[in-house]
Amino acid sequence: QEAAKYDKKVMVLDFVTPTPLGTSWGLGGTCVNVGCIPKKLMHQAALLGQALQDARKFGWQFTEEVKHNWMTMTEAVQNYIGSLNWGYRVALREKKVTYENAYGEFVGPHTVKATNKRGIEKLYTAKRFLIATGERPRYLGIPGDKEYCISSDDLFSLPYCPGKTLVVGASYVALECAGFLAGLGLDVTVMVRSILLRGFDQDIANKIGEYMEEHGISFIKQFVPIKVEQIEEGTPGRLKVTAQSTVGNEIIEGEYNTVLLAIGRDACTRKIGLDKVGVKINEKTGKIPVNDEEQTNVPYIYAVGDVLQDKLELTPVAIQAGRLLVRRLYGGATSKCDYVNVPTTVFTPLEYGACGYSEERAVEEFGEENIEVYHSYFWPLEWTVPSRDNNKCYAKIICNIKDNERVIGFHVLGPNAGEVTQGFAAAIRCGITKEQLDDTIGIHPVCAEV
Amino acid sequence: MGWEEKQVRGYGEFAETAQRCHGRPIFALFCGDKDAMGRSWCPDCVTAEPIVRKELHNMPDGSVFIYCLVGDRAYWKDPNNEFRKNLKLTGVPTLLKYGTPQKLVEEECFKAELVRMLFTED
Repeated sequence: QEAAKYDKKVMVLDFVTPTPLGTSWGLGGTCVNVGCIPKKLMHQAALLGQALQDARKFGWQFTEEVKHNWMTMTEAVQNYIGSLNWGYRVALREKKVTYENAYGEFVGPHTVKATNKRGIEKLYTAKRFLIATGERPRYLGIPGDKEYCISSDDLFSLPYCPGKTLVVGASYVALECAGFLAGLGLDVTVMVRSILLRGFDQDIANKIGEYMEEHGISFIKQFVPIKVEQIEEGTPGRLKVTAQSTVGNEIIEGEYNTVLLAIGRDACTRKIGLDKVGVKINEKTGKIPVNDEEQTNVPYIYAVGDVLQDKLELTPVAIQAGRLLVRRLYGGATSKCDYVNVPTTVFTPLEYGACGYSEERAVEEFGEENIEVYHSYFWPLEWTVPSRDNNKCYAKIICNIKDNERVIGFHVLGPNAGEVTQGFAAAIRCGITKEQLDDTIGIHPVCAEV
Repeated sequence: MGWEEKQVRGYGEFAETAQRCHGRPIFALFCGDKDAMGRSWCPDCVTAEPIVRKELHNMPDGSVFIYCLVGDRAYWKDPNNEFRKNLKLTGVPTLLKYGTPQKLVEEECFKAELVRMLFTED
């Protein structure tokens, strides 16, 4: 849309290869269809379940037991997503961007072939190309995985309640999904190969795991599935999972209605003909290395988003990178996308917001003696009356002593972590120091005042 | 086989007609009532109607086009009217594909390209 503003002739080729189980979706990419949007809505559904429990303690009287209907929630979520898909179609049309629901692949210099779902092929040429093909969930490569397991691609439009679920993985996708499924009242187990939330602050990752365990989610640690078999067909059916220990020879078995794989995502770069135009990719990870102007090794081909090597996999980052790229190319601008100090939030049952360095990374980069960590547990006022945990919410900031105690890392674990973190991210971008933070009077009574 | 048009007035008639046509693609254009001279109190509806009608031949075979007059201006302005409550309509004219989130509202209906897109997309 940005390029069209500069009167460029623009075409978008978007195509979703269906999952092994046949799931597909409309225009908008992962975030809109099978990522952030449905995830946050389902997380909200789970939070509301908790709120209903708390409500009784605040004086609300309702005698019936409260139950959750998966289909009602899923239909509402999918309806909203449909309106977003349609909104994008209208927006592209209005801005005169040509949209084709077709699978694009390079066939030669400056040329792509677009194949639509009926198999009809068309060739297009262009002066410049932007690759933003993103990623798809990885499968385990064990017997029964593609036939019987689902991924996040399938979960948000699943036409039946998943029931007793085994979530395989310890990524934020795994923990967020496990979290809201349990919050909706389902029996959830998480199978973890080694650590939780690799790449995130481990002190916080462990607190998140503990909280989930104390709130009804079982964890099976240091095991990996080696086989998935179907005991009974159905919606949901019954599956038998066999798993092996990573630290010994122990084998265990378990029965579940649904197995959700969330062990990682692979870049969609292997089947788009990059070799035909000479774009180099990292053979091992499939990711595309680019310079700080999002340009690949082929000067007329650019890339943004999750396909990039060593960059954060977040929707707002991709959007910003894309917009700035176009402004540089056609608007005479010079600003580059800043990948540092990007705030993020993990929507586990106890939400986690962060911006900047984790404690481990800060120690690695600056040395333990040069950083100071300030931390505190806090008890949200809203949790006091319903007697919810008083020692779980937590906040910490990491400061660089040598640079005026500048705040280089911000971490908060508690309700509305995303909302809290956004403001602090702006402050960190302005270079806030510990002293300035201390001088800022807090809003009371809110969690953020800590 | 082509397509057919049904003209209705008010929410009750609309809902009944839509239900009777269940199973076929249903497109609906909602406009303000017309006076004795055939002019609507809603100026945007006056502009949109001919543009929409010109694109009707693009609807898939077997489609039903429901032309629905919603009521007089006072009825429409009431925030609790049945169209707002049940169909979530926010303005007239509205052109929509029934049973999907696909719709065009107000000035969007003036654009032949968008109307065509609504009639031909899946």
